[in-house]
Amino acid sequence: MEKLYVNAVGPDGEVSTVGLFYSEAEAQRIVDLLRANPERPAYRYEIVPAERHTLSEKNTQRTR
Amino acid sequence: MHGITPRREQGMADPVLAQMVRATGATESRHYAAVKPVIQAYRASWVKIAPRRDGHVNATRAQVTDSTAVTAQIKAKAVEMGADLIGICRLQPQMIDLGSAVEHEFVIACCVAEDYEKVLGGPDAVEEEAMRTYAKCAELATELAEYIRAMGYPARAHHNGGSEVQAIPIFYQVGFGELGRHGSLINETYGASFRPGFVTTDLPMVEDRPREFGVQDFCMNCNVCQRNCPGDAIPQDYVMTHGIKRWLIDLEKCYPYSRLREEYCHLCVDVCPYNVKSHPDTYKALMKQRKQVGYKTPKSY
Repeated sequence: MEKLYVNAVGPDGEVSTVGLFYSEAEAQRIVDLLRANPERPAYRYEIVPAERHTLSEKNTQRTR
Repeated sequence: MHGITPRREQGMADPVLAQMVRATGATESRHYAAVKPVIQAYRASWVKIAPRRDGHVNATRAQVTDSTAVTAQIKAKAVEMGADLIGICRLQPQMIDLGSAVEHEFVIACCVAEDYEKVLGGPDAVEEEAMRTYAKCAELATELAEYIRAMGYPARAHHNGGSEVQAIPIFYQVGFGELGRHGSLINETYGASFRPGFVTTDLPMVEDRPREFGVQDFCMNCNVCQRNCPGDAIPQDYVMTHGIKRWLIDLEKCYPYSRLREEYCHLCVDVCPYNVKSHPDTYKALMKQRKQVGYKTPKSY
């Protein structure tokens, strides 16, 4: 199965992993629901293949 | 308040499980299809009380002049009803299911500890104990919500019969413990062997605080759950979610043992060394059994 992380990127650039998903359709459905959240307009969301996912603190610092 | 944490559906509503089940030529997960009568009875119990999750709020509101006193009152009531752990915090978006909204200001977490001694009885005994505890939590949350509504404040129970809240972020915020490598929250007294029920409410109470006691640092080097997982589903690497380390279980590797077999799989929680403090002899006996099978569960398990 395909493995994809969905990440939320905050207005300060901090990356928070939403979860691990197993198809593009499943990950995209999550992203669409997150984008529809009226309380978090400043966040952006990315779908990252698991093998390319930068882990842990490095991930948090990447966009800072 | 709108939620931001995805909830994975159960049974064949979970697209990952559905795909794996269909690949075997079956139409239903063996674990869910082979439900024993005692398990069916527990599941029926929380479905039966689901209509009582929310309801009429007493029009005469009890005035809260001392939120510390009312917090103590609620906690004492929950303990009287059977809770082993109780904590309170303000509701936050990561505590609510993505796609759901909950308007209440506070959430109360009530947990009931499982009888860890059951692990020596094998997977069926562990599953029965887990379902018994879930049923008790559903009853407890339902009664506590009714108690608060009788005080004149809105309150809704969240349990296996219906829920819009997420256990782990709430557990962390109320100070029950820290998230372990196996994906469950670890408490220093009960390990991860406890189950939750929740009540969301507007009753003004005093919040508990997160409490860290070294679990995440311990998990970085322990790896006992990882080495005992029959499917190698527990990862070495972690991700960060809301600033907290989180090891994401690979469901494609977990499900062949936890969903495609009839028997329950709870090994990652059972072998966690945080059980040793409260149950030293049972833990040692379990690990002796595990050692005899080379820690890894044989594929015939």
